[in-house]
Amino acid sequence: MSSSSRTASPGPGRTVGPFGAPQRPDRKVGPFGALQRPDRTVGPFGAPQRPDRTVGPFGAPQRPDRTVGPFGAPPRPDRKVGPGGALQRPDRKVGPFGARQRQLARRPDGLDLVRVAAWLAVAAVVLLPFGSMILLAGTEHLATLVDGDVVEAGRNSLVSALASAAGAVLVGTALALVLERTDIPGRRALRLLALSPMLVPPFVGAIAWVGLAGPASPINRWWRERFGEPLWSVYGADGVIMLLIVHSYPIAMLIVTAALRRVPADLEQAARIAGASAPRALLTVTVPLLRGALLSSFTLTAVSNLADFGIPSILGTPERFTTLATLVYRYVQSGTVDDPLGVVATIGVVLLAVALLAVALDLTAGRRRVELDASASRAEPLPLGRWRRLVATLAWIVVLAITLLPLLALLEQSLLPAPGVPLTPDTITTASIERALTASGTIAGATTSLWLAGLAAVLCGGLGLVIGTLVTRTRARDNRALHTLAIMPQAIPGLVIAVAWLVIAPRLGLFNTPWLILAAYVTSFLALVVQSVHAPLSATPLTAEEAARASGASRMRALRDVSLRMAAPAAIGGAVLVALTAVRELTLSALLLSPGSQTLGVVIFGLQQGGGPNAAAALSLIVTVVGLAGLSLAVPKSRR
Amino acid sequence: MHRKTSALAALAASALVLAGCSQADAGPAATESATADAAPASITLYTSEPQEKIDQIVAAFNERRPEITVEVFRAGTGDLNARIESERATGEVQADVLLAADAPTFEGFAADGLLLELDTADVDALDPAVVDPEGFYVGTRIIPTVIAYNTDVVDAPPASWQELTDPAYADRLVMPNPDVSGAAAFNAAVWLDEAELGEAWLTALAANEPVIVDSNGPTSQAIASGAQPVGVVVDYLVRDLAAAGSPIAVSYPSEGVPFVSQPAGVFASTDEADAAQAFVDFLVSVEGQTIAVEQAYLPVRGDVGTPEGAPAMSDIALLNPDLEVIAATKADAVATFNELFQ
Repeated sequence: MSSSSRTASPGPGRTVGPFGAPQRPDRKVGPFGALQRPDRTVGPFGAPQRPDRTVGPFGAPQRPDRTVGPFGAPPRPDRKVGPGGALQRPDRKVGPFGARQRQLARRPDGLDLVRVAAWLAVAAVVLLPFGSMILLAGTEHLATLVDGDVVEAGRNSLVSALASAAGAVLVGTALALVLERTDIPGRRALRLLALSPMLVPPFVGAIAWVGLAGPASPINRWWRERFGEPLWSVYGADGVIMLLIVHSYPIAMLIVTAALRRVPADLEQAARIAGASAPRALLTVTVPLLRGALLSSFTLTAVSNLADFGIPSILGTPERFTTLATLVYRYVQSGTVDDPLGVVATIGVVLLAVALLAVALDLTAGRRRVELDASASRAEPLPLGRWRRLVATLAWIVVLAITLLPLLALLEQSLLPAPGVPLTPDTITTASIERALTASGTIAGATTSLWLAGLAAVLCGGLGLVIGTLVTRTRARDNRALHTLAIMPQAIPGLVIAVAWLVIAPRLGLFNTPWLILAAYVTSFLALVVQSVHAPLSATPLTAEEAARASGASRMRALRDVSLRMAAPAAIGGAVLVALTAVRELTLSALLLSPGSQTLGVVIFGLQQGGGPNAAAALSLIVTVVGLAGLSLAVPKSRR
Repeated sequence: MHRKTSALAALAASALVLAGCSQADAGPAATESATADAAPASITLYTSEPQEKIDQIVAAFNERRPEITVEVFRAGTGDLNARIESERATGEVQADVLLAADAPTFEGFAADGLLLELDTADVDALDPAVVDPEGFYVGTRIIPTVIAYNTDVVDAPPASWQELTDPAYADRLVMPNPDVSGAAAFNAAVWLDEAELGEAWLTALAANEPVIVDSNGPTSQAIASGAQPVGVVVDYLVRDLAAAGSPIAVSYPSEGVPFVSQPAGVFASTDEADAAQAFVDFLVSVEGQTIAVEQAYLPVRGDVGTPEGAPAMSDIALLNPDLEVIAATKADAVATFNELFQ
């Protein structure tokens, strides 16, 4: 992206207005010296702008596919046209009315400070653990790894991550469109149900699916008796990819929904006026504008699925489908390698390389930007008419199948005392639920998880808001590096991040404190917020900030009053994602807990491993139900 | 429906109250407990015991030695290894006592000079097979790997390892993954080391294509739910599930069973050697072993009986291989296993 930062101030202390009148800092002067009123944004000829319409310079409605220059001339991407149509020359800054401004060395301002602070924070939560990981890794382990199927595991990781990310974006986008933009009945309930896989720890979801579609599940047994072959077994690569999709599409759905709410309604209205049918308007006008969100969510789900451990370990192991994340555990668990830390760190570096590939794809594809202006008017829901029943039925069937079935499987297990006991009125008991609630650590674990998840959400929300805003709303050479660094940790398995933090913790005095887990959470989940902010804002043009700058706001002021405010809702959505993910997180806290403390994920896993699978199911179900209740309060009602 | 939710709410509330009470009880008790004859001490225990079980043990120990606070860090064996390795990389191990895994793991720590020589009380009463002759660690439970079967599906369970290679069991077997489960890796080495089993038997077993799941927990659940009605798993999980009502039972194979002993050892870097030793002593004392038996484990001493539903110790044939050989061959054994069971 070429850089065209706005006018530099012509001297310390005084900013000179368009006619040379000294500006008074307490008044903002518009283009003809008219005082600006903060409550109105004034268009080029003093006409008050209407927030619900984006109007071009002569009142022509803007077309999203074209940004119209000042005299209606279509812009040429290779040339920046200044006010008055004068070509801007990158070596010269042209002020309003084409007056040449002298290039002045800019003194560092608040924005530079913000940028430095963001870099320092990223250095603390990303570069520090990565550095310790790279120091632990050594080239001498590469030989071990090449023997140890690292190439095959790397291929499996890449294939399953990319395939599941594509699936997650497809499912998430389809659901977002149906729930946001059509009039199907029961939207609110559907939306909550569709988000429920986020709340189930992936390893619990995988176990529930083994009960539903494992080789010995009732369906497959019945099918085998009839046709000699099981219908479909959840074990193996296809099952791993399917479960990764089920557990990551809610992320894509939330990001696409947020972006969808920013697409101005008038574009579709224009298309409708021009004679397009409602579905065509939706598919040809709105969906292309979601490209940024689709890319952001694709990158995010791809890198997080690269690092997922629970699903490939439960569903991949029986079919010998190994990913890099399960390989890491193999080397640590079996105790058969001499320097497990070095091997783990080396795999971490390999994963970094794989993730860089995925992110590079995103960044090269993301260069061509579609820009559209924000709009406050809501799009009309698409009346489905006679298709309403069909679409509703389909949507409900899909959502129920992928969310309610496993929840029902969990419910069945919760009501039974032990695995293998048939469900009859006589065998139903609350013993497992009682055991789950009274297990040592449940209450303490819930408390720890809640406050850790809350703090992580606040920290990631704040830092992610600043980083996401900087990389989308300002122009700087280091944006891409900052963005990449902030989302890379998502691709590293929890075990590797935990080991990296463990190794540096004693030097920071963080050892055996909850702050260590918090630091690891911020490292791991920052990407969720950065991508949530990046998705809607990368497609919004910088006009609002430029207007603020033209009206005399400093770069910092423009960032604070315009960009950050624009990004805040997306950051809050991202922070909710962080909280949901952190509440049920397992691998980081399993290693970083201080003795005597617990988190919910660890309690559930401990019950699962320690011979209480039904209690583990009961606790997962309780967490999911409570989480959904909380979510129904947190997810904004659609404004209708 | 409404009644059910209010019952649940009441349950949750009572759990909260209980938790509050127990904490309130723990508060003053812990502060006033320093008895005159012993200075208060605090030790950190790293263990792979299930949380509920280790909590019971610590509570019983504190009735005896209330002045010693035991901080428990519970994780899977692999996570414990990763944590101990990370701590070693930057300084010294932060734990005082380790209670996990198997003898070869402890042999490795002892060889690196990480362990303190123990002076375990009453050591002569213990099964000599679980006591380290050099005194660096002592086994605390006998955890054999056995054949388990689903009693609803299987009438005549296999009585020997050899029987598992019968084609009748094709697609009906389940076992843990030696890459993940330390006990399974140990077993692979023991089976390959046994003259009458060895690689020929393992190859024949692989021909039946057992489902390989992560660890012993999911293995026992697969057998109990009938997903795979026969499997290879540690015995105490089977007794736990059977006690909870699952249709599952143990068969001790006639050739003998490989076992791990969940040893306890004290790290040389400890500041509380006496308190750590006291905890290890308690684990193998009559009282500690009685708790182990109540928790469905086979004990390491002969004077505390065996768990309900388990045969007497004298009726169980244990395989006692040379542990140094097992430690040396474990990595190769896991590799062989992986090749055969691809």
